[in-house]
Amino acid sequence: MKKVIVYALSTCPWCRKTKKFFTDHEIPFNYVDYDLADQTTQEGIMRELDAAGASGFPFVRIGEQVIVGYQPDGFSAALGL
Amino acid sequence: MNIESRKKALRHFFAKVVQPMGFKFTPDADLVEFLLEQEVMLEVKHGVPYCPCQPLRHERARDMQIVCPCIPFHRQHFDAIKRCWCGLFVHKDVVDPDTLPQLSAKEVGLE
Amino acid sequence: MNMSAMNWTYAVDDAALPEGHMVAAYPLGVNVVLARVGGMVYAVSGKCLHMACPLFMGDLNGFTITCPCHDWRFDVRTGRFLDAPELGLATYPTKSDTGRLFVSLS
Repeated sequence: MKKVIVYALSTCPWCRKTKKFFTDHEIPFNYVDYDLADQTTQEGIMRELDAAGASGFPFVRIGEQVIVGYQPDGFSAALGL
Repeated sequence: MNIESRKKALRHFFAKVVQPMGFKFTPDADLVEFLLEQEVMLEVKHGVPYCPCQPLRHERARDMQIVCPCIPFHRQHFDAIKRCWCGLFVHKDVVDPDTLPQLSAKEVGLE
Repeated sequence: MNMSAMNWTYAVDDAALPEGHMVAAYPLGVNVVLARVGGMVYAVSGKCLHMACPLFMGDLNGFTITCPCHDWRFDVRTGRFLDAPELGLATYPTKSDTGRLFVSLS
């Protein structure tokens, strides 16, 4: 099973849908809400977003693949669902 | 702050700004309510109605570019995906916003 | 433009507006900001078109007014919002007469 990490904002509806997607598909995942995180964590997340050319949330890492935005088809494809 | 009256005020301000740029509020009324409420809460916290779906970098010049409506500062990207990043606004001709994927600027060839 | 046919309303005294500065005025209750740049006096709506913040409290740099609230920038000559050509502030003609500045609101 590929490791799934979700970076999100607690205020973002698409981030909520993204978390729900993985929950509904019974895919274990870790997540961090950027806006609720400490400064060091925020800086680390921003470095990852900048490296991937992403400007908004949700930011999802599935194995080595990065998917920016709520993209259920992309999540399924990356997971081989 | 009265959340409902502030939501109304933001709706009033933003409608006038996005309309000349070819955008309108999304027809998804529940999404509008949710996002405006988040913006009011962000305004309570920070004094500014930031986008609920983009990160604050704690650098004024960059953070001012995600104040709602942030369309002027991301015009090419949002015109390409026919919506703003959080989906509060869509192009005027959009009737079914659920058909619009949330594609990053990179995915539409802009970065 | 026929200047003589305009309705001129007193805004502020000439001396209240030094070169490179802005001042708020409320002729007939209309919220206006006047700016003097390069010896010329310009008048635009005093409320930012984003969220109605008072522009006179912002910065004037050359011909550019920056709103104090969220840094929206406008050209004081044309009222135009610099980041979207479709958007702009109302502009008003100005004139100076015997040490007083007037705007035409019509």
